[in-house]
Amino acid sequence: MEVLRGLRYVTYLIFHPFNGFWDLKHEKKGNLGSALVIVALLSITYILRRQATGFIFNTVNLLELNILVEIISVVLPFMLWCISNWCLTTLMDGEGSFKDIIITSAYALTPLILINLPMILVSNVITVDEGAFYYFFISLSTVWAAALMLVGTSVVHQYSMTKAFITCICIIVGVGLIIFIGLLFFSLLQQMFWFAWTVFQEISLRF
Amino acid sequence: MKLRKYLICTVLISVLLTTTAFAEIPYSSYTYDYWGNPVPAPAPYVPTRIVEGTTLGIGAFNNANDLFVSPAGKIYVADTGNNRIVVLNDQWEVERIVDSFVMNGEEQTFNAPQGVFITDAEHLYVADTGNGRVVELDEDGNLVRVIGKPVNEIIPENFEYKPTALVVDRAQRLYVVATGVNQGLMEFDSEGNFRTYMGAPRVSVNMYQYFIRLFYTEEMLDRTTDFVPTEYNNIRMDEDGFIYVTTSTISVYAIQGAISGRSTDDRVSPVRKLNPTGKDILRRRGYFPPVGDVQFFSRGYAEGGQSLLVDVCADKYGIYSVLDNKRGRIFTYDGDSNILFIFGGKGNRLGTFNNPVAFDKVGENFIVLDKSVSGQGQITVFEPTDYGRLVLQAVYYHNEGKYDEATACWEEVLKYNANSELAYIGMGKAALDQDEFYTAMKYFRLGNKRDYYSKAFKLYRKEVLSRYFGVIVAVILILSVGLYIRAKRKGRREVVA
Repeated sequence: MEVLRGLRYVTYLIFHPFNGFWDLKHEKKGNLGSALVIVALLSITYILRRQATGFIFNTVNLLELNILVEIISVVLPFMLWCISNWCLTTLMDGEGSFKDIIITSAYALTPLILINLPMILVSNVITVDEGAFYYFFISLSTVWAAALMLVGTSVVHQYSMTKAFITCICIIVGVGLIIFIGLLFFSLLQQMFWFAWTVFQEISLRF
Repeated sequence: MKLRKYLICTVLISVLLTTTAFAEIPYSSYTYDYWGNPVPAPAPYVPTRIVEGTTLGIGAFNNANDLFVSPAGKIYVADTGNNRIVVLNDQWEVERIVDSFVMNGEEQTFNAPQGVFITDAEHLYVADTGNGRVVELDEDGNLVRVIGKPVNEIIPENFEYKPTALVVDRAQRLYVVATGVNQGLMEFDSEGNFRTYMGAPRVSVNMYQYFIRLFYTEEMLDRTTDFVPTEYNNIRMDEDGFIYVTTSTISVYAIQGAISGRSTDDRVSPVRKLNPTGKDILRRRGYFPPVGDVQFFSRGYAEGGQSLLVDVCADKYGIYSVLDNKRGRIFTYDGDSNILFIFGGKGNRLGTFNNPVAFDKVGENFIVLDKSVSGQGQITVFEPTDYGRLVLQAVYYHNEGKYDEATACWEEVLKYNANSELAYIGMGKAALDQDEFYTAMKYFRLGNKRDYYSKAFKLYRKEVLSRYFGVIVAVILILSVGLYIRAKRKGRREVVA
């Protein structure tokens, strides 16, 4: 029930982002459960978008579709964003807790679901000539979500708009850094593993 | 016991039969689908014989560089290393050998001739590379004219003129490809005077290169290579007088960019079709630009990198083929640059090559000149299979406007090759003509043809809408009446409250 109440709040939030995000945090209008549901719905939207978009607009080879990859491609960037956001804003006097960041970021992504889901249906009944509408709404959803993300960051951390904008750019750079360090870590781990493995082989084959 | 004997017998017989019944083709044929994946296809051509200089009784070909089939069906081979032109008839017998001609009462010979061209009047043009001239001989080997080094103020004095390939158009103009020339083709008028360079590829500079140069010092700029247009390496003319040229100097990155972007830009195209003003008019409507192989390893492999196109051969209706020297493959495209066939390969068996340098068509057969490892050339003859003939016939019919016959051909093609996107598109177009929109959609979907699918879908949608128009209107009416009543009741309730 709590989750449903949180989800219903989305309809208010996306049209009144400043008040919406403020109440989201301070009036406890949203909760972690509904945030996670939103991320799950977004994953489903992206899977459906790959799978069920009309043939004319679907440029993905369905034979190579992997649902796990699709889910990861939504969840991983989201988590990276939240982590990077938290890392940076704790250093930059942000007011939001990690939980606040997750809730805000998830709510900011709702236009992607609300527009893309119907557009999947629409894409099945329109032709190339009407494609402009399709692409317009798809871009609209992205721009809207990005704007909400910006407002959300500024409200939840009580930043000015300029500072929020700079922070957002820094967060994206931070995401890149995390990916870099992650790759480095795994690469080193792999090297270490192979080193141990070859030493083991060397010894076991000798005796 | 008897049954067992019988079984063994049948197995043995069938094994024997299968091993003798198939002459295996030493390469696998394929095409590329919409996604750029190679998909197997039946062999469109099969190798049938090899012709060598020694079997012809004229001594081995030595570094032979060009091969040309004259309008009369005679085969001319530029036997570069032996300084001669060998003329064969369609029965693969030596008709004559041209190795000298009389000029001003003096006997002259060729010096490493690399290219030949034969006009409709069976006049022989030889790109006499080592002597830096083009020689025209008539059908009896008498000298008509010699076109020497071009003289013009735009050509530097010390320019070493080495013509390697040429064509002559109907107005007797010469278009010559020469070594070290990157301004395009050298055009000579019918008098043999140099006119101009034509068809130079446009230079492409990417943003990064442009940006980085802003920071270069004078010395750095001097040391970096200039942006120069690519050099052409071969030239052919089709029956309409359009010139096909190939180049192999486009970088692997540019080619890969063109493939991944499905680019139709002529600057990154290794094959071009030039009109008489030198403008590229090749239609690039295929799923990928005509660059040879679409999937390849970029680095780290002996056979990595883009296809190196060294020759082109034009068929009717804009169908053309290109020869890849790197992997020994022939790519045939239709007039819209849709890939029709890919066949051939590297190797030492009948049907594969070591160093293929030139090819042409004799009737419906392909003949490919292979320089071979030791320079001892050989010519391989390829004959079309039923499948190959069918596909070509379908394209011919389509271009002739015989759509019903084309459809019949495509239907037959699908029996051989269920992966043929072109066949599905052909069937789809036919279904569209017969107002069978849903069937058309199905075929276009199989052929990955989105624009035509959209056309068929639009018509199908119209058909469905008009068929169920009454139902749709009724549903909308009922819904709106229902909503209206509901709204009214709700309003009344509110008033009461």
